[in-house]
Amino acid sequence: MSGLDKFSEKVTRRVARATSRRSLLTLIGGALTGAAVIPVLPVSRAQAQGHGHGGGDPIAPQPTGNPQDPGDQTQCDYWRYCAIDGFLCSCCGGTASSCPPGTEMSPITWIGTCQNPADNRAYIISYNDCCGKSSCGRCLCNRNERDRPMVRPQANNDINWCLGTESAIYNCSTAVILGVALDQQ
Amino acid sequence: MKWLAASALIVATGTAVATPAWSGTEAIPGVENAARARQNWMLSCQGCHRADATGTPQTTPTMAGFVARFLQVPGGREYLVQVPGVATAALSDADLAEVVNWSLVRFDAANVPADFRPYTAAEVGRLRLKPLRAEAMTMRAGMVARMAQDDKGNKNRGGF
Repeated sequence: MSGLDKFSEKVTRRVARATSRRSLLTLIGGALTGAAVIPVLPVSRAQAQGHGHGGGDPIAPQPTGNPQDPGDQTQCDYWRYCAIDGFLCSCCGGTASSCPPGTEMSPITWIGTCQNPADNRAYIISYNDCCGKSSCGRCLCNRNERDRPMVRPQANNDINWCLGTESAIYNCSTAVILGVALDQQ
Repeated sequence: MKWLAASALIVATGTAVATPAWSGTEAIPGVENAARARQNWMLSCQGCHRADATGTPQTTPTMAGFVARFLQVPGGREYLVQVPGVATAALSDADLAEVVNWSLVRFDAANVPADFRPYTAAEVGRLRLKPLRAEAMTMRAGMVARMAQDDKGNKNRGGF
């Protein structure tokens, strides 16, 4: 073993003679800076953009195909989501108006209006939560048009609306059209 | 002949439900614009009471086929406006009176008394200044008990 000891001692001393502590700091600093640059690389950005919903697999766009109902139902800026606060059921195995399998739609909801860009009319939208499985965690949206503070609970979207369901565990939110609102008088 | 039976049934049900205070064809008393009343119901009430006013046992008592019975007991007329969800609704006095008049006929026409005077904006405005709070539940329980008593009395006299 002494041969091995002598060899490693020789190598270590040679390295110590030939390099300075400052060069080690340079090396570590370079590595740190290099690591920080990785997210800026185009490869990384392309992946994150996928469908722009944070973690998880990228979600394919879900246009309705109906010119009267424009937009992508997996995006927060879809017109029916104007007052939504939660995970989009469209990204969780359901749709904008139906719950993912294994969850139950809450019959108790908060109801508001959203303007449809196709005809510029206001539609009455019911934000029914889907309940019974743990949070979906995809496509978190928080748009608060006409959202009211907690003192007006019937128009507040921070409440867990899983009421009247078997389970009060929140999974995701839908935006169901109830009808066309009357024109403003 | 099935279709005949079905349509006869629909007609029969329609008349049976709508006979007492309101025949179903004329305008609802105290409701200037039924479409507006329905929209206000959707935006301010339906979220908890559900579209058909059946409610949810744990949180929201049923209104369908029951709500107008409050008009038959003392204090009920005031209660229907002073109950927190109604008194504090984000609606003007006129709109609130309209939606209350509308919902009484829409969800419980059979129990609306023949001499029912529709709520006016002024009456609603006066009543909602004193909304009920925690006492609403006790008050409701008292009135429901009174209804049960009345039912018993009517039965003994051979009514109902």
